[in-house]
Amino acid sequence: MSFDIPSIAQYTPEATVFIGVILVFMLDVAGIRSRAIIGGATSIFLLLAFLQVLADLGSWPLQGLSTLPAGLLGTQNGPVIFTNFGLIFQGIFLLSALLVALASVSEADGEEVPTFYALLSLAALGMLFVAISADLIFLLLSVEITGIATYVMVGYTRKDRRAVEAAMKFYIIGALSTAISFFGASLLYGAYGTTSLTAFRALPANSSLALVGFGMVAVGLGFKATLVPFHMWAVDVYDGAPASVSAFLAAGSKKMGLFGIFIVFVAAVRIFASAQGFALYLALGALAVITMTVGNVMALEQTTMKRMLAYSSIAQAGYMLLGIAIDTPAALAGATLQITADVLMKAGAFIVVGAAVGLGVGPLITDWRGVGHSRPGIGASFAIMLLSLAGMPLTLGFVGKFYLFFAAVEAGGYFTLLAIAGLLNSALSVFYYARILRYMYMPESTGSATVGAHPLSHSSLGVGNAPAAPAWGSVRDEIRGTGSARWATVVGIALLLLVLGIYPTPIIGAMNSAAQQFLTLGL
Amino acid sequence: MIPLDELVLFSGLLFSLGIFGVLTRRNFIMLLISIEIMMNSAILNFIAFAAYSPAGNSLLEVSGQGIAVVLIGLAATEVALGLAIVLALNRIIGSVDVADAMQLKL
Repeated sequence: MSFDIPSIAQYTPEATVFIGVILVFMLDVAGIRSRAIIGGATSIFLLLAFLQVLADLGSWPLQGLSTLPAGLLGTQNGPVIFTNFGLIFQGIFLLSALLVALASVSEADGEEVPTFYALLSLAALGMLFVAISADLIFLLLSVEITGIATYVMVGYTRKDRRAVEAAMKFYIIGALSTAISFFGASLLYGAYGTTSLTAFRALPANSSLALVGFGMVAVGLGFKATLVPFHMWAVDVYDGAPASVSAFLAAGSKKMGLFGIFIVFVAAVRIFASAQGFALYLALGALAVITMTVGNVMALEQTTMKRMLAYSSIAQAGYMLLGIAIDTPAALAGATLQITADVLMKAGAFIVVGAAVGLGVGPLITDWRGVGHSRPGIGASFAIMLLSLAGMPLTLGFVGKFYLFFAAVEAGGYFTLLAIAGLLNSALSVFYYARILRYMYMPESTGSATVGAHPLSHSSLGVGNAPAAPAWGSVRDEIRGTGSARWATVVGIALLLLVLGIYPTPIIGAMNSAAQQFLTLGL
Repeated sequence: MIPLDELVLFSGLLFSLGIFGVLTRRNFIMLLISIEIMMNSAILNFIAFAAYSPAGNSLLEVSGQGIAVVLIGLAATEVALGLAIVLALNRIIGSVDVADAMQLKL
């Protein structure tokens, strides 16, 4: 058993991110705590890893290949497998970490800065391992790397009571879900004598032990993915955590849970399709519909921006779960597209909310009155993100939902019902997104009357209030308020949503072939 | 030797005990202990299934024990982090009671 160079070369993205983690800790020891240096270094390493993943996607052989020696962690097939589907998700995870790293450069300096960036990279590293795992234990341990890093990230501002409370809740739920999924894994190990996900797919449904095991693993991962019976923690944690951490949780760590459910359930569906038949599809579909409905209905009645975004994030998880509930390549590709869109939208939206303090905007939705006029750049970007979340045409959010619902109709029969439920939910969600848009672009007369009651926002508006047409002076003010890195990230995300929404062909092609390969060739 | 089904039944009971603790206790330390009991029931399961693996399949036997050792390490990591969080919380609100940490409305 010897390491040859080609096998190590396959781990370039993981190694790059890992070197970034070590470097940030070294800088911390050297006493360098400036966000510009540490955040910049982290962003560069994440960007390098992201580019490496993109390069791999272009050149990787279509057939998945296993590289670690068999027998490591006890699997006959090896714990790691490289597939295009996994690589696409590596790219998605790295993108979410990169956006958060870039945007947080604009936050205040402090002694926790290196901790934040090191943990961010470490969480990204765990996600990268999740995306290449072919073994249940390897998968759950990788989820745990991310989990432990994110528990600390939520509470890294140790003096902030709300953040520490959020960290406590997140920790309890996270540790509980870990214990449940490992117990499920132990039952699967007992039922099949292996923990290899690739081996599961070839095995018959021989015992109810396995069904219980799969169920418990799904519950554990469902907590991470904020599916509905297990979603209660998410709202409090997203609300209490610093906004950049919320952005990372909603954009990155949640998608990791969903990806885990995808790769575990692709095995479970194959195993139980013959024995239990339709029931499993029915259960997954019901879970998806309940998740999106509860998320949307609860989002309707929220008054603070962060909690509204948290519930809308739960609703989005429901749409994405449809991918595995329908179980066709087209649906899985649509879900991947929707996940990509959601990474951009949710990271962007939480970053905007984080920038709200610098913009002189309060935490309530009504505080956003007139922001579209007084802050043209941020206002327009946020509007694009909200339109994309609502699934309006010309944005990436529309393309994702369109592919997903189209795949459901294509699958026919019962799946058409899922498409109808999804469409109704999208219509419902337009209400609360449109409400924010209405506040942001209220006519100036009503806008300034209420803004006047808000001393903070009024003073930063400058003399003469906002003119009808956005002047460059106010954009310069806006950039100073949010910080140039954060402003550039937000505007960049909005542009990306538009560009990919108008011309999504290249990523759709890649996702279609990857999903096809994932479902037919095995993990 | 203890039969396999009794071992699995025992670990199932431990797991239920842990869930019961998580649902009823309000003290953070007790929550930590309950979650640890749940983790240990999973570890016990791995060891039990490894010990009763079909004769001749040495790989299976070793893997269960290996996973158990890794999980013991993982459980220790989690507890260390949990204690760090409870210290930070205690410094702010002066209590380790979960019910006292409810500033975020549910």
